[in-house]
This record gives sequence, C-alpha cells and structure tokens, in this order.
Amino acid sequence: MNYHRKNDYFMIQTMNGLNLIEEPFIKFTKSCEVISELTEISVGTTPHEIVYSEDKMKLFHYKPAVENPCQVPVLMIYALVNRYYILDLSPDKSVIKNLLDKGFDVYAIDWGYPSGMDKYLTIDDYVNGYLNNAVDYVRRESGADKISLLGVCVGGTLSAMYASLHPEKVKNLISFVAPINFDTDKSLLNIWAKEMDVDKIVDYYGIVPGDFLNMGFLLLDPFRLMIDKYVGFLERIDDKKTVENFLRMEKWIFDSPGQAGEAYRQFMKDCYQKNLLIKNKMEIGGKRINLKKISMPLLNIMAQFDHLVPNESSQPLTEAVSSTDKESMVFPTGHIGMFVGSKSQNEVCPKIAQWLKPRSITSKDETPKSTDADRDQNKTDVKKSKSKKSNRKSKEIKK
Amino acid sequence: MNIGEIPAVGPSREKTEKMMKFFPLFMNFYNVWMDSISDFSNISLEAMNRMHDKTANIGYEISPEKNKEIYNIWIETYSDTFKEFLGTGHFARDMGKITSLLIDAQKYNREMLEENLLKPMNLPTSTDIDEVNRELYSLKKTVRELTRKINELSQEK
Repeated sequence: MNYHRKNDYFMIQTMNGLNLIEEPFIKFTKSCEVISELTEISVGTTPHEIVYSEDKMKLFHYKPAVENPCQVPVLMIYALVNRYYILDLSPDKSVIKNLLDKGFDVYAIDWGYPSGMDKYLTIDDYVNGYLNNAVDYVRRESGADKISLLGVCVGGTLSAMYASLHPEKVKNLISFVAPINFDTDKSLLNIWAKEMDVDKIVDYYGIVPGDFLNMGFLLLDPFRLMIDKYVGFLERIDDKKTVENFLRMEKWIFDSPGQAGEAYRQFMKDCYQKNLLIKNKMEIGGKRINLKKISMPLLNIMAQFDHLVPNESSQPLTEAVSSTDKESMVFPTGHIGMFVGSKSQNEVCPKIAQWLKPRSITSKDETPKSTDADRDQNKTDVKKSKSKKSNRKSKEIKK
Repeated sequence: MNIGEIPAVGPSREKTEKMMKFFPLFMNFYNVWMDSISDFSNISLEAMNRMHDKTANIGYEISPEKNKEIYNIWIETYSDTFKEFLGTGHFARDMGKITSLLIDAQKYNREMLEENLLKPMNLPTSTDIDEVNRELYSLKKTVRELTRKINELSQEK
C-alpha cells in the first residue's frame, strides 16, 4: 500500500513538473519558428523619393495618398539625435502615413550621419542653411508661399528657431514634444547636462558619438531599459508581430548618428545650461532668436508621461509666442508613445489633422508665385529627379 | 612631490615627461571612479533593503506566478531607488567629473599614439585632419554664400 502511495506521489510530482515546463517548451519551439522565419526588418517603408539633398541632409517627398492633397505641404523635421524613421516605423505605426491618408502633402528631412568633416557645422548651418534650403525647395516645388512645419523633439526646437527667424515662410507651426524651456529638474537629462564639461567633450570627440548619448538615455532608467524590456520581449517572443515591432524599435534606438560638435556645443550650452532660447537671448548666425516673432498658428503637442521632454519644458512655447491662434494638447502617453503607440495613430494624428486642415487652405493672395527660374533652380537641386508629378501639380495650381 | 612628478633629464626628457603625465591622470580618474562605485554599492544596498521590506510577507511558495511577482517588485524597487539617486545633484556632479576625467585619459592616450606611432610613420594625426576639415567647412560656406549671391543677382536681372 505504502509502495503504491509513494508511486502515486512521484507520478503526481512528475506530472506537475512536466506541466511547469510544457508551456515554456511550447513557447520556445514557437519562438524558434518565429525567429527562423524572420526576414530583414524594414523601416520607413511609406513610398517616397529623395527630392533634394545637401551634404548629409536629404529631403524626402512622400507619395500623396489622395488625388488632391492639401495645397499647403507639411515639412517634418526630426531631431538630430536618432533617425527620422520613427515617424514611419511600420505601415501600422506611421505618423507620416497617417497624415498622408488624411490628405496632406508630406515632406521630411533626414539629417543623415555627420562625419568628421561636419564637426564644424553650427546650429546656424542647420537652421539657416539646410532647413531654410529645404523649406525653400518645398515652397518652390509645391507652389505655396508658406508651408507648415512639424518639428519633432529637438527638431521642434529647431523649427521654433526657424519660425522666429523666417516667419514669412511658415504658415503653421506644430511643435511635437519639443524642448523649449530647459530650466527644469523634471527630466534627468536637464539635471545631468548642467554638470557636463561640454567643451571638453566636443574638443575631444569632434563628432559626439551616438553611443555616448545612448549611454545617457539608457541611464535614465537602467533597470527597465536594460533588463525589463528584454524580459518583456522574451515573454512575447512567440508572436511574430511583436518580435518584428520590437526589432524595429531596437534598430531605431541604437541607430544613433553622432552629433556635429559645434552644433552640440551651442545647443548644450545655450539651451541646456543657460536656457537662453526661452529668454529670447539665444543667437544663431549673429541673429537673435525672438520667439515673439512666431505669429503664425501654433499647435504645441506634449506627452503627459514624457521622461525626456517634460511638459514643463514644452508648454512655455505656447506662452512665449505672439500668435493669437495657438493651442496646447497633452496626450496621456510617453515620449516614444507619441510616435509609435496606439494613441499616436488613433488620437494624436487625427487631432493634428483636425487642427491643421482648416489652417492649410491657400487664400488667393498666397497662390503659387514660383517662377520658371525657381523651377530651374529646383531641377538642379534634385539628385534623383523623379518629381515630375509634383511639378505637374504645381502647374495645375498655377493655372 | 610623488614619484610621478620627479623631473626627467637627458635626451628623452620631453618624451619621458609626457609619458609621466599618465600617472596623475590615471589616479584622478581612478579616485573618482572608486567614489562612484562606492555610491552605487550604497544605493544597491538601499534598494536591497527596500526589496526586503516589500517581500517580507510574500511567503516561500515557489511557482511561476510567484516568481513573476517577485521579479516585478524587484524591477520596480530597484528602478525607483536608482532613479532617485540618478536624479540627485551629487550623481550629476560625479558623472560630469567622471566623463571629464575619462576624456582627459583618452585624450592623453590619443596624443601618445600620435606621438609614438603616427608621427614617426608620417601618417596624419587627428589635428592634421581637423585642419583639413576646418578648411573644407570654411570653403563650402564661402561657395554657398557666393552661389546664393549669384542666384540673387541673376534673379534681379
């Protein structure tokens, strides 16, 4: 009897043990299948063409999704840190595609990867050089006198600088989780930046390496970003879509271009350390940036749980500008969630479109004024000349 | 005066003196690095204590659900405790100091490499390349400015 009881006990224990490992084993087998079936992870797949390039900077024009897109094009300006394709990570997580579907004519800037020869580029070169040339290109090509700027993160800071220096070329300004006021202790980046010997970093590196910045970003929450994230990934590794999305995000996170030294030096010192931008005391290329000169309609978008750019850092832009038509929106998500989360697609993008559409109507005074000389200039700019369709569109508007 | 500061003499005086600079640089970095490790040990200990308080009544049952629960508490406790520390001015100053001293050491290594390897082989150093980069930048800027002026003039015509 005893013998049988013991035997039953061992059987039950063994079965329990097997049950415990059964599920992980099935998961493991499934995950092996998923990983072996993975092909190359693609990002930035919304159809587009390079219409203008200058040094490392490229300007993309996205293929309109509707027959007659809005006459006022939208130029998206991403940060110098990381790459623009977070705005077009995959077809179902794409701010760009979402805006195209809503009838906008979308352009975006890719700043590229600066190399040694770009170490002397300043913020002036970025704002009054590359960005201004891209804006001029879009204006000429679309036939619109003014265009809408959508600046993301530090791209939003650059856009605000641009809009204050060239208000005559900007119809609408959308600031998307952009830092403007740097005097806050709500983000660790702001606290750390004040103690950095920026001159030493720039003088040594020239081009400040992306990995150097990445270390800082990972240090913001080391346990979640370096451990928990991967544990979470392992728990869902048997789902193909999850794996693909995870790998896309990983690619983006660690695809970090270096920073042009002089631009980095000025940005860190004037913005993070001295907070000159919001005080209207920052100068680029010998010109003072006065945010009061921003008089066009402004939409200031923030993320409630942003650990990189706290609301305290973005909100002051709304108060600093002289625009009468201005609005702030806060969405209950994080910094990255603003671009790739479900809220981004279902709430943020529709709100942007809803705000932008009525403000993207060209009045008669602003109908195309592009000349043949302008168009010739564009043709010389185009590196890959596939923009015949856009030209046709401009001519139609002209008629 | 410590042994690393004794002045060098003889034909290789200059080289020796440059090489001797390594010791104070290394020691400065080492001291700050050790202070930082000590801070991190203390904060780990604090996190461990907090973890202990939170898991005191959790029991000894072993099951995947229980393990997951403990893991979640661990991540939350350690993440929050470290974030508190990382947000202090003390850590920010330490990080600034470490970065600065690390760069000093790296800069010294680069200078030595250039001095002892690149120069004798007549290969360009980073300073030489920088000079070219600066010149290139300046020329490009001039070309852009001139192109802009030409375009303006041609449009005026």
